[in-house]
Amino acid sequence: MIADAFNEPAASLEPTTLRETVQGWDSMGVLMLTAEIDERFGVELSAETSRGMQSVDDILRFLREHDLVRD
Amino acid sequence: MSVSRIGGFRIAGITTCVPPNIADNADCAERYGAVEVRKVVAMAGIKERRVADAGVTSVDLCCQAASSLLDKLGWSRDSITGLIFVTQSPDYFLPSSSCVLHQRLGLSVDCAAFDLGLGCSGYPYAVYLAATMLKGGGHRRILVLHGETPSKFITPADHATTLLFSDAGSATAIEADAGAGESVFALHTDGAGAGQLIMRGGGFRDRFPADARHLHLEMDGAAIFNFTVKRVPELIEETLAHAGLAVSEVDAFAFHQSNRFIMLHIAKKCGLPEDRVPLILENYGNSGGPSGPLVLTLTLGAAMAKLRESGTARPLRVMMLGYGVGLSWGAVLTEIAQDIVLGHSDYAGN
Repeated sequence: MIADAFNEPAASLEPTTLRETVQGWDSMGVLMLTAEIDERFGVELSAETSRGMQSVDDILRFLREHDLVRD
Repeated sequence: MSVSRIGGFRIAGITTCVPPNIADNADCAERYGAVEVRKVVAMAGIKERRVADAGVTSVDLCCQAASSLLDKLGWSRDSITGLIFVTQSPDYFLPSSSCVLHQRLGLSVDCAAFDLGLGCSGYPYAVYLAATMLKGGGHRRILVLHGETPSKFITPADHATTLLFSDAGSATAIEADAGAGESVFALHTDGAGAGQLIMRGGGFRDRFPADARHLHLEMDGAAIFNFTVKRVPELIEETLAHAGLAVSEVDAFAFHQSNRFIMLHIAKKCGLPEDRVPLILENYGNSGGPSGPLVLTLTLGAAMAKLRESGTARPLRVMMLGYGVGLSWGAVLTEIAQDIVLGHSDYAGN
């Protein structure tokens, strides 16, 4: 889902991958991710939260906090 | 709860007017980068925008739309008892632009005229006001004019808004009709989001801002997205519930044309068939609130023809949806007769 939102190959994304190294993680990518989370889970990713995300791990943490993925 | 049912009025006609100048988003590739422009075009669904010349305002666009509408309807200027001008791009702080339009249209002194300072939600609000004025008595015919020139709010430094916004004016003729059925209106506000779409300077809070960027529109795209995907589905559901109707019983959902991606996301979320959610963004961009009447003038004719081909004389049931700056959102679910007068033109100058 994260790879789809940022239009990146899934293999290129690791939890440690930083935002600034993902080309598709721009304002459009954030909207795509927000839409994916809304559509799949009905959960809102707020603008403030999305702005604070600096790595793929931050996204995974958000998903875990909302019980949307398990370790 | 701000939901109501009002009867006794009909929408007799709608016309729109856009500037003839076409700005092609592809031409912005050099400035913003081809990849960035392609992304915006793919997501927002906007290839071309209409941009008003420096001396052309929303008043000018609405004036042409209104003159054309009155001529098409054959309504005398003296028969208009109310003029509501919805805009956030007025000619002046004062006088109200509605008074300027009143003079230019040659309306009678027996006519109430005022401005309504709402943006993307303005159309349902103005139709609501017109309906309540007609219901209150003393009024016969009301013109709702809704025009915006958002291209003048933006700065080329911000590609997100530059590639999105377009200019348009519209006129809607509404008259008392004792035999008309009830329409459902739902209107909402959340001022906590006022800063999410804002021009900080130029008003009396900061008339001459030190930071020139404050004279241009600032948009928190992610926050607006969240607002829209949360509030608009609730609005559709609420309006349908008060009308006692199902999605399948509405012929068209005429959205404010905000952004294709967002609109299709909402349509999917609410189970709206895509063929009942007309889109005109590709060639007309996001013109703010007037995109509501614009989508009607550009697509209602075909929808009416389809209805006639099926041999039915029933009116078209339409939900009009406005949402955005404020934050403010509203809907009207109404019936539009097959004999409605529609028109659309390019601005031809004063």
